[in-house]
Amino acid sequence: MRLLNLFLKHGSDTTFGIIVFILAIMPVLLAAGVLNGGSTILFLGKCISFAIVAIGIDLIWGYTGILSLGHGLYFGLGGYAMAMYLKLQATGGQITDFMHIGGLTELPLIWKPFLHAPGSLFLILIIPGLTAWLVGYFIFKNRVKGVYFSIISQALTWAACSIFIAMSPYTNGNVGITEIKSIFGSIKGSANQGNMFTLFYISLFALVLIYAISRFLVTRKFGKVLIAIRDGENRTYFSGYPVSRFKTFIYVVSAVFAGIAGAIFVNFNGCITPSQMTITYSIGMVIWVAIGGRGTIVGAVIGAFFINICEYNLSSGSTVEIWQYIIGILFCVTILFFKGGIVGLVQEKAPNFIAKIRDRKVKA
Amino acid sequence: MEQAVNILFNGLSLSSIILLTSLGLAITFGVMRVINMAHGEFVMIGAYTTYVVQQVFTQFLPSAIGSLYYFVSIFAAFGVAFLLGSLLEKFVISRLYGREIDSLLATWGISLILQQAARSIFGTQGVNVNAPSFLSGGISFGDCTFSYNRVFIILLVSLCMVAVWFVMYKSNFGRQMRAVMQNRPMAQCMGINSRRVDNLTFAMGSGFAGVAGCSVALLGSIDSTVGQSYIVNSFMAVVLGGVGNLIGTVIGSGIIGISSIFTENYTSSTIAKAVVLLIVIVFLQKRPQGLFVIKSRNLD
Repeated sequence: MRLLNLFLKHGSDTTFGIIVFILAIMPVLLAAGVLNGGSTILFLGKCISFAIVAIGIDLIWGYTGILSLGHGLYFGLGGYAMAMYLKLQATGGQITDFMHIGGLTELPLIWKPFLHAPGSLFLILIIPGLTAWLVGYFIFKNRVKGVYFSIISQALTWAACSIFIAMSPYTNGNVGITEIKSIFGSIKGSANQGNMFTLFYISLFALVLIYAISRFLVTRKFGKVLIAIRDGENRTYFSGYPVSRFKTFIYVVSAVFAGIAGAIFVNFNGCITPSQMTITYSIGMVIWVAIGGRGTIVGAVIGAFFINICEYNLSSGSTVEIWQYIIGILFCVTILFFKGGIVGLVQEKAPNFIAKIRDRKVKA
Repeated sequence: MEQAVNILFNGLSLSSIILLTSLGLAITFGVMRVINMAHGEFVMIGAYTTYVVQQVFTQFLPSAIGSLYYFVSIFAAFGVAFLLGSLLEKFVISRLYGREIDSLLATWGISLILQQAARSIFGTQGVNVNAPSFLSGGISFGDCTFSYNRVFIILLVSLCMVAVWFVMYKSNFGRQMRAVMQNRPMAQCMGINSRRVDNLTFAMGSGFAGVAGCSVALLGSIDSTVGQSYIVNSFMAVVLGGVGNLIGTVIGSGIIGISSIFTENYTSSTIAKAVVLLIVIVFLQKRPQGLFVIKSRNLD
């Protein structure tokens, strides 16, 4: 009974708590031998990073109504920044093999800041943030909005991705930066399980922190202004709010989240390629948020986990073809008929359902 | 001099391909305000239709008329894309008018389905269309060679432009279409079946994407992602030219195409395209509505 009330009052926070709890006990289960195979933890670690970028997209799309089709760019920038640091750790600060092939004889200038951990961690936040500020400041100040913004963000990502592929002496082109260990050393194999668990719990902590920050932002007056911008941009202007500054700020926040997510992703994935910067990948992130439920932070988290877990289990072997159909149809149907996604559906149905259970209890 | 002519010709031919792929978008996005992310997949459908028509011709017909398959395939590509576009409008797009961002997302879902369908039917390997024999070779003036391939594409796009212009501004249907787009309730009062007009307009836009696919098939191998590589440039051409303006789209494609080829002289082709897009993005900061603005005091 009390549990039901908890759901009714703090539904999203409770749900998020349950997700975090389940994630937190996974390594324990693995260590106790209930689960086997460390790959599950690696996969869940990637899911955590996806959930973080989904929260960022939810902030700008679900709350503010800015649809970015290019968040893969910021995800990729964060990922590459992390990967460059890790690669230099692996080579001991020497120039890498692909630079040799590309004809470079010494470490290029843009790689130098990644020699040390504090600088790299700083740049993981700064590079996506600064890029997003530059893009957002001008675009929002000039009142480019709606689909125009989406189309421009898509072109920007495409251009950035092509440049990353073309600058192969610096970025190793299509192959990307590979053969790197995580920030805590190798996480492959059972001998390195400790490293993996440390990494996993730190990532989980980052997810909780980012969830808390986002909830803090959207439950204040600030969040109300964001929703006002989404529902009536001109009215918000006329009410005296500097809409473009609000938009730029939230866009930068979401880009920084994406950068952090990219950095976490690289640690678990062990490589980063330009395919994480493509438009397809970026819109994939929007699909998670749409299906999970836009406009609720927990919806983004649920969507990211739900879609990726489904994909992980379905997109191999004989079902690989079906998966593309499923995701396409699911996405279409969600957009057409269930604007609120999974969370919206639950929010709509749950109160009645709970009331019914309560009635039954009272009668009994 | 020769270099300048070459740049101009190559730029013109790239522009015409961009224009051909944006023509359909200019109709669906510009006139109907529907963002069709599956547009690239209609280009792909056109390309695969060309492939199928060619296969049928080589299987069942004598090789003497083999080259003629291409003319048949242009109409076939238009027809197939037209039909599928009509179906898409009926079942998906018609629910999304006035919801631009949602139309973008829903059509992306469609594009995932269409891409997978292409992979299921034709396999993941790219297929090749043999260019018809009358398109091999080229004419040369001095040091400049104009390949027939590219001359043909320029002719095809000019023909399509004339067709679109005729349909939109000279035919009865075009008059109805413009009436519906300008003032829907009033057009309905005048007895225009606006549902039918919507459907045919969208189908026509998709049909031209199919024709674009036909010419794309001449340029390289066809796989399920062939449309994706054109879609970004096409969207930018439409936005640069100014939405809802056919002439704007022509000039937008021209600028993007010629400046890409021009930049290519100094760097690689990928970087050139990326740089041109970045410049266009910067330019759009100056004129967010594009080159040709339809004057309006409307805020939204």
